[in-house]
Amino acid sequence: MIIRSSSQVPRKSLLERFPVPRNFGVSPRSRIVPGRTWPAPEDATRVQTFDIYRFDPESGGNPRIDSFEVDLDDCGPMVLDVLIWIKNKVDSTLTFRRSCREGVCGSCAMNIDGTNWLACTRFVAETRKRATIYPLNNMRILKDLVPDLRHVFAQYNLIEPWLKTRTPAPEKERLQSPAERQEIDGYWECILCFCCTSGCPSHWWNADRFLGPAVLLQAWRWLVDSRDEARGERLDELEDPFRLYRCHTILNCTRTCPKGLNPGKAIGGIKKLLLERKT
Amino acid sequence: MTSTADRPPAPEHSSGPLSPHLQIYRPQLTSVLSFAHRLSGIALSVYSVVLVAWLMAAAAGSGPFSSMQAVMQSLGGQVLLGAGVFCFFLHLCGGIRHLFWDAGYGFELTNIYVSGWAVVAASVALTALAWLASSKM
Repeated sequence: MIIRSSSQVPRKSLLERFPVPRNFGVSPRSRIVPGRTWPAPEDATRVQTFDIYRFDPESGGNPRIDSFEVDLDDCGPMVLDVLIWIKNKVDSTLTFRRSCREGVCGSCAMNIDGTNWLACTRFVAETRKRATIYPLNNMRILKDLVPDLRHVFAQYNLIEPWLKTRTPAPEKERLQSPAERQEIDGYWECILCFCCTSGCPSHWWNADRFLGPAVLLQAWRWLVDSRDEARGERLDELEDPFRLYRCHTILNCTRTCPKGLNPGKAIGGIKKLLLERKT
Repeated sequence: MTSTADRPPAPEHSSGPLSPHLQIYRPQLTSVLSFAHRLSGIALSVYSVVLVAWLMAAAAGSGPFSSMQAVMQSLGGQVLLGAGVFCFFLHLCGGIRHLFWDAGYGFELTNIYVSGWAVVAASVALTALAWLASSKM
C-alpha cells in the first residue's frame, strides 16, 4: 500500500507489532504486567475497549496495561476525548498531558495503535477495535502517559535554537525576501511533540548521543534561515558520528509526523551541506 | 492541598520505567526495509565466507569440489543459496535507493513508499530471473 500522507492509517497491516517477545530486552522494572479491566457503564450503548499503559510512581509497582471499556455515544470523536472521558467518569487517576486540543501544542503526543500521533487529532473511528495507547516510546515515564522530556529538550538546547548574528543589528528588523522565507517552510511548523524522535529506531538504540529527527529538523531550520550567520559553527557542532550520522534514513520520522513535516528530508539536507563544505 | 513549593524537587535523572519501543511499534515499510537492509548486509558477509569455501574446494581438486557441490545441491543448500541470492538483490536495490537519498532525492512520503515497494518487487523479480537463468545453464 502506498502511503501519501503521514495522517493515513493503513486499512490493514500484516503485522501489528514486530515478532519479538512483549518484554524483549526490557529491564525488570520497566517490564509490563497485566492490569485490571474497567467495565463500561451499564447504560452504555456503543462500547470500545482501550488498552492503556499505566504507571504509578507512588505504588512502587511495575507498569501495567489497564483495559477501559468506553461508551463512544457518551464521548467526543477524538482519542483525547476518550482519555478525558475516562478521567472524568471512570478513573480520575489516569494521567496525561493535554492543552490545546487542536494539534498546535504537541502536549498529547503518544503511541496510538503502535504509531505516534497527537491524541487530539486522531479520530477514534481510525483506531483498532481494541485500541492500544502507550506513552511516547523509549522515554523515562513519570506517570501513566506522561514521559520525562528533559533529555530530548536538553538535546534541543544543544543546537542553540535561536538566531545568531555577528553583523551589527539594523535599525529595524532583519529582512528576508519571500524566497528566503520560503526556505524554512515545512520546518518552522514543528511543534516539538517528539513523535518522530520517539518513533526512530536509531534513537531507541542511541538516545544518549544521537540527536534524533525532531532536533535535527530544528537544526536545519536554523541552518537555512537567511538571517542566521552561524552556519559554519552549527555544522561543526553537528559533524559527529553519533549526533548526526546515526541517522540511517529509516524515515519512520517522516511517516509519523502529525504535522506532515519531513524530518528525513531535513537531515538529508544537513548531510548534503556537510558534504558540500568538504569539497 | 500542597502548594507547588512544598513538592520535592524533581530528580536530576528520572528513575521511572522506560516506555516500550520495538516491542509495540507498528512495523511499517520504512522500518522493515531498513532492518532488512541491515540484516541482508550481515547475511551477505556470512555468504562471502561460503563463497570462499566453495572456491577453495574447487582449487583443492575434484574430490573436495564434488562433495561441496553435493552439499550445495541438497535441498537445504538450495534454500540457503536462494536466500543468499535474494539477500544480494535486496541489498543491491536498497543500496541504490540509499544513493538517491544521499543525493537529496526521493524524500517525499509518496516517493518513499513507491521506491520501497519497487525495491521489494525488483529483488523478488531479479532473484527469480537469476534462478531461471542458472537452471538453464
